[in-house]
Amino acid sequence: MSEYLHSTLFSGFLQRMLVLITLLFSVSLASTSYAGNVASADGNGTKGADYWRAINQQGQSGYTTAKGKEAGVLINRSGEDWRLTRNQQVKPIGQWMLAGTLGVLFVFYLLVGKNRLDQPRSGQVIERWKRTDRYVHWIVAVLFLLLALTGLSILYAKHFMPDLIGKDGFGTYLQVCKWIHNYGGPVFILTLVIMFFKWVRNNWFNGHDFRWFIQGGGMIKGKHPHAGYMNGGEKLWFWILMLGGVVISLSGLVLDFPAYIDAREDFQLANLIHGAASLIVLCATFAHIYIGSLGTEGALEGMVNGHVDETWAKQHHDLWYDEVKSDR
Amino acid sequence: MARMKFLCDAERCIECNGCVTACKNENEVEWGVNRRRVITINDGEPNETSLSVACMHCTDAPCMAVCPVDCLYQTDEGIVLHDKDTCIGCGYCLFACPFGAPQFPQEGAFGERGKMDKCTFCAGGPEEDNSPAEQAKYGANRIAEGKLPMCAEMCSTKALLAGDANEVSDIYRERVISRGSNKGAWGQNLAYNADGRKR
Amino acid sequence: MKLTRKQSSAEQTGAQGSQQNKTGLSRRSFLSNSGIAAGGVAASAMLSPTMMRKATAKSAPSSAPTEVKRTICTHCSVGCGVYAEVQNGVWTGQEPAFDHPFNRGAHCAKGAALREHGHGERRLKYPMKLVDGKWQKMSWEDAINEIGDGMQKIRQESGPDSVYWLGSAKHNNEQAYLFRKFAAMWGTNNVDHQARICHSTTVAGVANTWGYGAMTNSFNDIHNSQAAILIGSNPAEAHPVAMQHILYAKERNKAKVIVADPRYSRTAAKADQYLPLRPGSDVAMIWGLLWHVFENGWEDKEYIAQRVFGMDEVREEVKKWNPAEVERVTGLDEEQMRTAAKTLATNKPGTVIWCMGGTQHTTGNNNTRAYCALMLALGNIGVSGGGANIFRGHDNVQGATDFCVLSHSLPGYYGLSGGAWKHWSKVWGVDPAWIADRFDKDSYEESKGKPVKPQNTKGIPVSRWVDGVLEDKANIAQKDNIRGMVFWGHAPNSQTRGADQKKAMEKLDMMVIIDPYPTASAVLPDRKDGVYLLPATTQFETYGSVTASNRSLQWRDQIIDPLFDSLPDHTIMYKLAKKLGFADQLCKNIKVNNDEPLIEDITREFNKGMWTIGYTGQSPERMKLHQQNWHTFDYTSLEAEGGPANGETYGLPWPCWGTPEMKHPGTHILYDPSKAVADGGLNFRARFGVEFEGKTLLAEGSYPKGNELKDGHPEFSAKLLQKLGWWDDLTDEEKKAAEGKNWKTDLSGGIQRVAIKHGCAPFGNAKARSIVWTFPDRVPLHREPLYTTRRDLVEDYPTFKDRKSHYRLPTMYESIQKQDFSKEYPIILTSGRLVEYEGGGDETRSNPWLAELQQEMFVELNPVDANNNGVRDGGDVWVHTPEGSKIKVKALVTRRVKAGVAFIPFHFAGHFQGKDLRSKYPEGSDPYVLGESANTVMTYGYDSVTQMQESKVSMCRISVA
Repeated sequence: MSEYLHSTLFSGFLQRMLVLITLLFSVSLASTSYAGNVASADGNGTKGADYWRAINQQGQSGYTTAKGKEAGVLINRSGEDWRLTRNQQVKPIGQWMLAGTLGVLFVFYLLVGKNRLDQPRSGQVIERWKRTDRYVHWIVAVLFLLLALTGLSILYAKHFMPDLIGKDGFGTYLQVCKWIHNYGGPVFILTLVIMFFKWVRNNWFNGHDFRWFIQGGGMIKGKHPHAGYMNGGEKLWFWILMLGGVVISLSGLVLDFPAYIDAREDFQLANLIHGAASLIVLCATFAHIYIGSLGTEGALEGMVNGHVDETWAKQHHDLWYDEVKSDR
Repeated sequence: MARMKFLCDAERCIECNGCVTACKNENEVEWGVNRRRVITINDGEPNETSLSVACMHCTDAPCMAVCPVDCLYQTDEGIVLHDKDTCIGCGYCLFACPFGAPQFPQEGAFGERGKMDKCTFCAGGPEEDNSPAEQAKYGANRIAEGKLPMCAEMCSTKALLAGDANEVSDIYRERVISRGSNKGAWGQNLAYNADGRKR
Repeated sequence: MKLTRKQSSAEQTGAQGSQQNKTGLSRRSFLSNSGIAAGGVAASAMLSPTMMRKATAKSAPSSAPTEVKRTICTHCSVGCGVYAEVQNGVWTGQEPAFDHPFNRGAHCAKGAALREHGHGERRLKYPMKLVDGKWQKMSWEDAINEIGDGMQKIRQESGPDSVYWLGSAKHNNEQAYLFRKFAAMWGTNNVDHQARICHSTTVAGVANTWGYGAMTNSFNDIHNSQAAILIGSNPAEAHPVAMQHILYAKERNKAKVIVADPRYSRTAAKADQYLPLRPGSDVAMIWGLLWHVFENGWEDKEYIAQRVFGMDEVREEVKKWNPAEVERVTGLDEEQMRTAAKTLATNKPGTVIWCMGGTQHTTGNNNTRAYCALMLALGNIGVSGGGANIFRGHDNVQGATDFCVLSHSLPGYYGLSGGAWKHWSKVWGVDPAWIADRFDKDSYEESKGKPVKPQNTKGIPVSRWVDGVLEDKANIAQKDNIRGMVFWGHAPNSQTRGADQKKAMEKLDMMVIIDPYPTASAVLPDRKDGVYLLPATTQFETYGSVTASNRSLQWRDQIIDPLFDSLPDHTIMYKLAKKLGFADQLCKNIKVNNDEPLIEDITREFNKGMWTIGYTGQSPERMKLHQQNWHTFDYTSLEAEGGPANGETYGLPWPCWGTPEMKHPGTHILYDPSKAVADGGLNFRARFGVEFEGKTLLAEGSYPKGNELKDGHPEFSAKLLQKLGWWDDLTDEEKKAAEGKNWKTDLSGGIQRVAIKHGCAPFGNAKARSIVWTFPDRVPLHREPLYTTRRDLVEDYPTFKDRKSHYRLPTMYESIQKQDFSKEYPIILTSGRLVEYEGGGDETRSNPWLAELQQEMFVELNPVDANNNGVRDGGDVWVHTPEGSKIKVKALVTRRVKAGVAFIPFHFAGHFQGKDLRSKYPEGSDPYVLGESANTVMTYGYDSVTQMQESKVSMCRISVA
């Protein structure tokens, strides 16, 4: 069994994704409808090519006693587009993106190494993340990772897991994955909303962030650019997560509540958007995890116990440090 | 090895729905699930055409390609079957199928659809042939008894043909010769010919 | 009883394909549904909890052996064969009968869902009565006693004619025959069944044209047609398996198919030409076709000269129907008519097929006679591939008609004359005086100046029982109104004037409903008491013979034992007769086991009396032989090639002359002179005398192969045999029986045997007549329907004068037509069928496999009418008709109907003028799907000869609900 080559290229896919995302935002979930009748051809019997073309390619629908969505449609080719886009673009591209991101981070780590503190630790700590902040972060993080793991399983696991744990075991595993994904998803959306309202005021961009980006965030050896409580990179991550979250959530809800959706084109669209957006956000997550743990000395402490060393604060968030100090 | 096919002769189908109830009868399909349906294009107008449609048991079946659990499989005779024990009810097969064949008994919140159900070409499922488990989950296994799908066997005008590709084509070819033109075979290139699905 | 197959040790038949499983020999078994986790209970979503009934499921060990029984589908008159697989008494499988000569395994939606009869979840399960508005279970004994006492009381007060016996086309032949006999012994001619409202005008019109009122050829013989015109017939929905044969002809012969129907039906979609005539303009259309035929000299002149009487008078009438006038009346233009006429004239043999679209009119008998005249002019009758292929409705409506469950005749169309009673009294072995004594002896009518007795006058027909209840008794030609109704297998929603019907049901003293389902009769009237429901079995729980539309008799096996508390109809008849005191007379020649009369004995009894139409040669043994040898009969000729029935036609289609011992093969094609009478050949029947107005009625120079007289001749009698010198061909015994008798009354069959021996048809050899001088219109005339939207045509083509007594009742024609409703009700209303349902639909709407497919009653409206009335597709609308009734239905906007025409299907019941009656059904017996009955709004109008209801044309107004 071989997959067929599809004429649309990667750029086409991205373009399509953009259009799809726009469509989704405009809440225009209605699918294309094919009104009217098939063109009459030459009378009785010989119906002519146009007649069949309308059925075969334009999804011409008719009368049927069967109930159910789309029951009157004889041929709906959209599934074929969806299948090819999903299987030949989203899946392989996503796979390489994930692998690529991990690879880049690994190479970066090898070349640049950990971003260490310039000064020795002062021993003085200041509070960076309150208890509630930390709870929100870690709940979102755990849910995100669970959803990512189950989502990836739904997307990729069939290629290797049945061989490892057997077909029955795999079926059970994916059933559990589906439940976690379908019931966990809405919970994740709730926590994300809480996170948004809790942190949004710290994440508005300002001039410092612009300069922070110009200087590359000081990732590679050099001067540390000025940064407040949140630096430009963190803010960027916040907005990637939030905007990506909206896209993923909306598309996920479409898939999660099929009774409210009429056309399968909406499911297909939602599925592609959901997959693509999730994969993109997942790549960004890898970067976030790297920077927040292996990549930056002392960063993880803040989110684990809430306090950071003053040296760390001075180095990464000098403006915030000054602010905290002057407040005292 | 035989290659099983459905063929609906549009010049003969009269939308009597015999195939639909034959399927219900033989497979005890529950209310709300229609493994087969008849569609009439241009209903009540010139060039009205009726066609019976169910799973076409595609050569390169889109449902198989997208199923995340790989619960669909194809028999040596080209019949596309599925394993309800493995099915997680994700609905992907429904998104992919050009013929609207996969059916789900429910459409609940949180993506709860139940196990997918579809035409089995009256060939049951992965269980032992005609075992109670197979009967309960998939209905009849006529293929194992050397018979063909009930819908085609009971078609009132012999519009719906099922069976080995060569025999089906022979019957249809004979009709085409009688009629003097090739009209009315439907869905064939799409389901059975890989090129047919390309735009 | 819902059963699901559970397990099977499959017996591989080895090869693919249909030819290998003639008998469907798979071994299967089953278990109760309870063990299945995967599926929900059927339809649970749409049912209220009170409607769910706990099914009692029989279970059988998985290894239970499978019995294969042969039966015939009960849903229409095509007569499709079915293999039923039974294990431990449970119907576990249905296999296609590929070797059955009619259907080759094929089924429509109804036939393919037949096995549901073995579940019968929504059946009426126990005898019940209405007590203070509630249904109460009762025992059979109590039910029979109470019903019998009630009837005797009515009889004593009002005479036997006040109890009405409404029989059924779903009885098998034996039950239908016994039912007619039962009514005779009760002492009334107030007995009738659905044939009155389906093909009575056909039977009257066709029988009066050429002798017998039945389909002349067969479904299979259509294979030989070169052309077919279908008028008011939609086999794609009403007889889907017949379409197999029509499409076969279309494909193999390139036969041209013309469909004349106000609706662009599924059949029309398969036609070469479609003629959308205005409802009720059939005669005008046929004369329009004949105008072109005569104009171009396309008629078969030799055929007409030899075999047709009165064609000149038709020719005179046809002259008036020039293309312009035809277009004015029918809406069909010259080009359409010319094309159709030419197609029929140049593609011979051609057949005409008609159904209810032609028959259900006040002019129904004119329509059917006009169709016959068209075929006679073209020389298409009595030839293979030609014929008047009249598709009947119910599975045994042909049989029930032949046994005359009709108010105007005794079995075999013997009529109600003294001679007829004498003949049947002899067959029954009872004293004619005893029967006469059972009847009301007073007289209420005169015939030719002499008073006639109720025993010899036509009873009230089923179409008018309502008036028999509601009409002032001074106007009815019997002692009193109808006070007790027995609905023995009848759906009231198949009859027009639903609102009047409800009133009549409420006025009755007693209603008895004997049926497998409660039917709409149980819920329509607002009554508190006096209604009894008796559960009868379906034909799958008993056995016997059934006559298909093509006159073939087929034998059915019993598939399963009676479900629940139900009993076969003939057992109920016997029990009731016992209570009423004439069981001994009823079953004088019939063995009775445990209150069940022996079916085979009933068959043998009617074999002894049905000489007129040749129901005499089909003994139970011969029918069973055919049943066991389906595979030996040819798909086109229906003739057995070798095998035990070698040379016989499948089902011994009547007339199957003489005694069974004579081994007549049955008559595949009526009036076909190319064969000897002994081999199934015939000629037209000499039924109307030997001459009329100085001209001979006998055939001239046309006779069946081997006819020794080589010309027309009158019907055979003892006298004629003696005159011809053939008397001594009779045996001594036959001579004794035949003395003073004729071919219809000689119980030995000797006269028939000798006539056939000499190559003669026992009923004589005459011309068909295209005029009928005993009917209101000697030549068929176009007359506008009673409720017509075309006031401009009323003056030119008025209906009949009102009649004081027609089948005992005053019958209105012009007094209705003269009222102008056309402004208020501008849309023509017509009705018809859906493939998923049969008749009143109580049975099929209770079958979940079918009910799921049609869940809503609807009205088809053209976009023009929809837009003019503000109606949207799928919206609720009211359909109003001039008599004041209305129904609330869904609108289906479609160009299938022309602007100005609306169509409603008639299978729905259970709603009445917007009110849902579901709560009035006995618990667990309500059909899955309910809806408004079309006939709630269908209006008055009855055929001038047969009292056929006019349910194919009325007028309506549509408003948004």
